Amino acid sequence: MSEAQVSQAPRTAPGARSGSFGRGLGAWLAQERVFRLIPFVAVEVIFVLVIIIPFLLTIYISFLKWRANRPFEQAYLSGFGNYQAVLTDPGFWSALGRTFYFAGAAVTLELALGFVLAMLVARTVRGKAAYITILLVPMMIVPVVVGYNFTMLYIDSGPINQLLAPFTQAMGLDPRIRWLSDPVAAQWAVILADVWQWTSLTFLIFLSGFSALPRQLVNAARVMGASAWQIFWRVELPLLRPAIVIAVVIRAMEALKIFDPVVLLTAGGPGTSSQSIAFYLWEQVWVFNKFSFGAAASIILLVIFAVLIFFGIWLLVRSSAAVGRERAA
Amino acid sequence: MSAVAGMGRAEAERAGARNVRRRRWRVVLRHAALLAWVAVIMFPIYWMIATSFKEKHEWVAWPPHWLPHDPTIKNYSQIFVFDVQRSGVAREATEQPFNVWGPLADSLLICTLSALVALLLGTFLAYSISRFNVGGRHFRHAILMIRMVPPIVIAIPLLMYYAIMIPLATEAVLGTRILLFDTRVGVSAIYIATTLPFVIWMMLTFIEEVPYTLEHAARMMGAGRMYTLRRVVLPLVASGMVVTFLFVFILNWAEFLLALTLTHPDVVTLPVLLNKFQSASEGRLFGPQAAIGTLITIPVVILGVLIQKHLIKGFSFGTIRK
Repeated sequence: MSEAQVSQAPRTAPGARSGSFGRGLGAWLAQERVFRLIPFVAVEVIFVLVIIIPFLLTIYISFLKWRANRPFEQAYLSGFGNYQAVLTDPGFWSALGRTFYFAGAAVTLELALGFVLAMLVARTVRGKAAYITILLVPMMIVPVVVGYNFTMLYIDSGPINQLLAPFTQAMGLDPRIRWLSDPVAAQWAVILADVWQWTSLTFLIFLSGFSALPRQLVNAARVMGASAWQIFWRVELPLLRPAIVIAVVIRAMEALKIFDPVVLLTAGGPGTSSQSIAFYLWEQVWVFNKFSFGAAASIILLVIFAVLIFFGIWLLVRSSAAVGRERAA
Repeated sequence: MSAVAGMGRAEAERAGARNVRRRRWRVVLRHAALLAWVAVIMFPIYWMIATSFKEKHEWVAWPPHWLPHDPTIKNYSQIFVFDVQRSGVAREATEQPFNVWGPLADSLLICTLSALVALLLGTFLAYSISRFNVGGRHFRHAILMIRMVPPIVIAIPLLMYYAIMIPLATEAVLGTRILLFDTRVGVSAIYIATTLPFVIWMMLTFIEEVPYTLEHAARMMGAGRMYTLRRVVLPLVASGMVVTFLFVFILNWAEFLLALTLTHPDVVTLPVLLNKFQSASEGRLFGPQAAIGTLITIPVVILGVLIQKHLIKGFSFGTIRK
């Protein structure tokens, strides 16, 4: 109410005195109902120009029959042909399945490691700040550089093979193992690079969760004679649930995008055994120039991800609402 | 506590000593576990820096050299060549000079420009969301959705948009073909759109800490809206804006997929340059690659360490209590 009264004053006063167009425009913009929408409209215009229109164009192209060897003007409508081609392509489905496998394995490891590390750091007194600084470093490193670093570790004359040499030689094997030439090892190379980098993010989320734990509650439980085990399972873990939900949602959505380490470490190989869905689509469009196929695949993928994103956001909203209720109580 | 009180004194002392010993062991184990993980984190980074100072016969020597045997800065001088043409063709492929200045300038320009624009727009919108509830209750979550869409899904439409629709449309309307594919403006535009959600989320946490009564007082005393925003709100969130700017800068600096797919061959950002080496046909240039990797990594790690305290707040998504 009072806000509305305040906004009256600058609107009428200068406008009445001068009546010039510039002042009038300024006064019009200063009204709350206009002013509040300026940034909103500006950002929406950017989103429409950079994201919405390209998607509408892509929907149109996904119904065309068009390849790079022919100019765009000669493309013709082909109905659902591209969608059928994508949905019946075994490469698409196996890349999609593999992406879920990568994300599942990586996120599970990251959650477990990040949780344990955050718990250890939260209970440390000496050197706590130094540990936090160092444990957050991987997050800052460019993923492409992480991919490069891990190729250096995995190559046949790399340090990992040297560390394993006593064991491999005892078994009578050549210690210079080509890890990235083996399908399973290549997949785990990608997963481990992701774990190395993003455990720092789950650690960060859990650390802020641990530092937000109400001390009085934990102390009260201890005074009442609860064991450390009971305090952890019955007091701390339930209080950390919002942090866990946030870590799972954010990391899972990010891990499903996995692309950089695949390109840098394995280039999808050997064969197609470590292709993620992002890599698969990139190869279809940028290497094989199957544009309309890529457009259809991109729309299908958007639909699949929209479902996942809605579910993830729903989980986030629900957990943040729970935090709000707790705070109010 | 009450259990201890019930015991005899000697017994309690013995139990206390046992507890102290057990606690000391726990502290030692905790530090051992943390230091082990620190080693895991530091080793790949160390290995890259060590490789960047190695001669070419040491890059893939077996057994690997844990320290460069004769340290050299050759790898750095090889990538910092100003004029590739004038320095002539190298006798060996591994001594081929590379010009990292162009990609460095491209990266700096694109990242700074897009982070600045995203910061201005995002701060303004975050203010509007916080004060006037623009876009409704779930708008901030709707914004987050954009961030969650995989970049490859955005890259394919953008390729067609930049390479086909905009040239055709501008030719029809303006008479000249404007190409956004492989331009700094094109890459910056998509970076602005993809980082806006982060800016809005981070700035919301900072702006919501500024009490509304301050602005109200300024408005009551006759200050205009823009004046209030500039003189009352912005100074209070200035440090938050710096942190957000640096964070978005780091995000753009690290971005690879969109830069790889929307540029070729004119605009080259540093991650794309590093990737080019990876698929080099003339033998792998591990040394110069390590030098570029070190060059990309050091500045952002320093920036990241500077803002890490604020990141803890920014990533808590409201779970942390003040």
